[in-house]
Amino acid sequence: MNAPSSALPSRWERFRDSYLLYSFKRDIVAQISLMVFIALVAVAVLAPWLSPMNPYDLAQIDILSSELPPFWVDGSDAEYLLGTDAQGRDMLSTILYGARVSLMIGFGAVALQALIGVCFGLLAGYLGGRIDAFLMRLADIQLSFSTLMVAIIVGALVKAIFGGETFSAYAVPLLILIIGLAEWPQYARTVRASVLAEKNKEYVDAARVMGLRSKRIMFRHILPNTLSPIFVISTVQIANAIISEAALSFLGLGMPETHPSLGSLIKAGFDYIQSGSWWITLIPGAVLIVLVLSINLLGDWLRDVMNPRLYKG
Amino acid sequence: MAQHTLTLKKTLLASAMAATLAGTAFVSTAAQAENTLRMAYDADPVSLDIHEQLSGGILQLSHMTHDPLVRWNDALEFEPRLASDWEQVNDTTMRMSLREGVKFHSGNTFTADDVVWTIERLKRSPDFKAIFDPIENVTAVDDHTVEITTKKPYPLLLNLATYVFPMDSAYYSGEAEDGDSKDEIVKNGNSFASRNVSGTGPYTVANRQQGVRTEFERNPNYWDTESPGNVDTIVLKPISENATRVAALLSGDVDFIAPVPPNDLERVRESEDAKLVTMSGTRIIFFHMNQDRVEAFKDPRVRQAFAYAVNQEAIADRLMKGFATPAAQFSPKGYAGHVESLELRHDLERAQTLMAEAGYADGFDITMMAPNNRYVNDAKIAQAVAAMLARINVDVDLSTLPKAQYWGEYDDRAADMMLIGWHADTEDSANFHEYLTACVDLDTGAGQYNAGNYCNPALDELVAEANVEVDRDKRAAMLQEVEQTLYDEAAILPLHWQDLAWASANHVNIEPVVNVMNFPYLGDLVMDAK
Repeated sequence: MNAPSSALPSRWERFRDSYLLYSFKRDIVAQISLMVFIALVAVAVLAPWLSPMNPYDLAQIDILSSELPPFWVDGSDAEYLLGTDAQGRDMLSTILYGARVSLMIGFGAVALQALIGVCFGLLAGYLGGRIDAFLMRLADIQLSFSTLMVAIIVGALVKAIFGGETFSAYAVPLLILIIGLAEWPQYARTVRASVLAEKNKEYVDAARVMGLRSKRIMFRHILPNTLSPIFVISTVQIANAIISEAALSFLGLGMPETHPSLGSLIKAGFDYIQSGSWWITLIPGAVLIVLVLSINLLGDWLRDVMNPRLYKG
Repeated sequence: MAQHTLTLKKTLLASAMAATLAGTAFVSTAAQAENTLRMAYDADPVSLDIHEQLSGGILQLSHMTHDPLVRWNDALEFEPRLASDWEQVNDTTMRMSLREGVKFHSGNTFTADDVVWTIERLKRSPDFKAIFDPIENVTAVDDHTVEITTKKPYPLLLNLATYVFPMDSAYYSGEAEDGDSKDEIVKNGNSFASRNVSGTGPYTVANRQQGVRTEFERNPNYWDTESPGNVDTIVLKPISENATRVAALLSGDVDFIAPVPPNDLERVRESEDAKLVTMSGTRIIFFHMNQDRVEAFKDPRVRQAFAYAVNQEAIADRLMKGFATPAAQFSPKGYAGHVESLELRHDLERAQTLMAEAGYADGFDITMMAPNNRYVNDAKIAQAVAAMLARINVDVDLSTLPKAQYWGEYDDRAADMMLIGWHADTEDSANFHEYLTACVDLDTGAGQYNAGNYCNPALDELVAEANVEVDRDKRAAMLQEVEQTLYDEAAILPLHWQDLAWASANHVNIEPVVNVMNFPYLGDLVMDAK
């Protein structure tokens, strides 16, 4: 009597037979992007064990070895593969740690956006009426400002109220909060649209007839059916959040230079780009581009797969 | 609806284009008629009140909107300005004849009363009063003669006169609209004098948006008709990013920049569109170690350990690209107090031993602050020093601020170690000690910038004696003893004397107007036709 197991495919079997995997196996760009992305995340997460030195530990920095070029340029030091910055920090280690900060802020901000956006979207779409009107106008107002502007205003306010030192000390959570708050309408609108399409279907009516509470219907019945657009936006949003953070840091409103993200590394090296030491800014810049590009390509592929109207056959 | 929007957009576009065209036309006719110098400093002056802050930025402003009684020329001799002549009446009295026919920007006539009023205001200014302390009183003998009396014989009175920029006493008398007296001096605040200016100088302030741009216009009634200066308008913009400032010059957006960051010196020198002027400077860059905030700094061994931990040569060589002279004392070579035998003492092992002897082998935590747009590479220097101190287990919490905010924090002594650069106002060693290491005395203004709270009354006495000693050799010996003691007790953490660099477009002749004090005499600036 082990019929159920053969009748119902397991999760792994379902995944193996899915269109998702089928399409992935045939899309070389998606495969490369995923590999690059996983590799970058892995080295960033393992930075404390992989990097040759700890860029946050000032005692390891020697100004006498500042501005050494990367290994393929004359005058380099084998100890510093990608060269050193103006203070003598090893670029490789600094970039690994910087990517870690950038990714942390990117994922954190998107998690926050998704949390706010999904809740507001569900409420607006399912309950409708005044709540819908209020939340959507709120989203409209926020969408009429550019993300960066909202982030700059909030960041400047926090700095003015609590002082630069406090801002530096809590820069990571604050940036997550700032970027997270600035982009929630993207989620809210998409989720609301999906909810509107779903809420008149029979299974929702059935749940309602069974007497389930609205909360349960929203989160357990409707939400799972709106997940695919959420996944697609999330990839784009992670890339956006990383870029927003880099832009803020480049403007001096983000991570402090003693705790650099990729953006603040680019800023720190900017002084030197035309005076010979190009690697201080160009290498972190290249890493940022590769990271964002791989996420965007993945998102592109995911959108094609998850959108039933775009079946390529 | 869509149609309507489109029309609206078109109208807007058309009017914007018309405005741009009109603007271009206006600018090009204007450019033919007059010379406009567009210049970029790393920061603009914090106030228009020239007595609010004793700083390079304010003195640069003073030389544009005001004239001093006398000023230094290329050969470091005194050149008469508003004082046309002077004579020593007796040991303590000097009589100065003032130039006649000089008008202030407001139209008021310049008289001896303005000089008296200005010196009295200087003696009230928290920043300036210490250097003006030797002056007992000033009296107007007649409309164009003043007598300055010093408390004791004072050999540096003319040096002091380079800092007296007579202000328009009638203009600053009475009450402003808000009921405050017009002549009040408010540090980092908002006073009548910080917003309005009337001097005798070559330029008037036409428009000022602090931190954005300041426009100066040539004073049409300027008294110095022999001045070769032919610049009609100056537009000063602060550009704090080093690379951006240099790029603005090389792309032709501005005609004159200062300072030039060391890592771009070669680039400017090799450029065909710009020229570079450099001079070895006398401005000492150093850290104060605040003994009131940190108990450990009271122990001379800890301060010495800090002095041994810092590698001045590496900073001068790496961060400043050789554009600075490593320093172990205040006085640069050529000053009376300079002691040739004081050497750099970078020695990490010695530093660690001293820390252990003082009982701080495991180090301690301190806070550090530095400006990020005041001195060449100031923020980077602070980062480098923080890294060097980490070697003796001192954990530094560093924050760097723009100078507009930094000086407020500095006056509050807001951190355990604070970076400052100092140029001796009188071109004399005693000035360093009076402002930077003398026991703090709010009444006399002594130690006004002593953020270390170092206090050694014996040294104060020695400097006071030196200030009345007319024999140059004896005076030098006293000042050298002061310098030696400061070194032995490691009162401060000296880093280097910063060199000076300016750069300009080829048609701007900056060489004759820049000087070692870094107060460009822009009134005499000549611009050739492009």
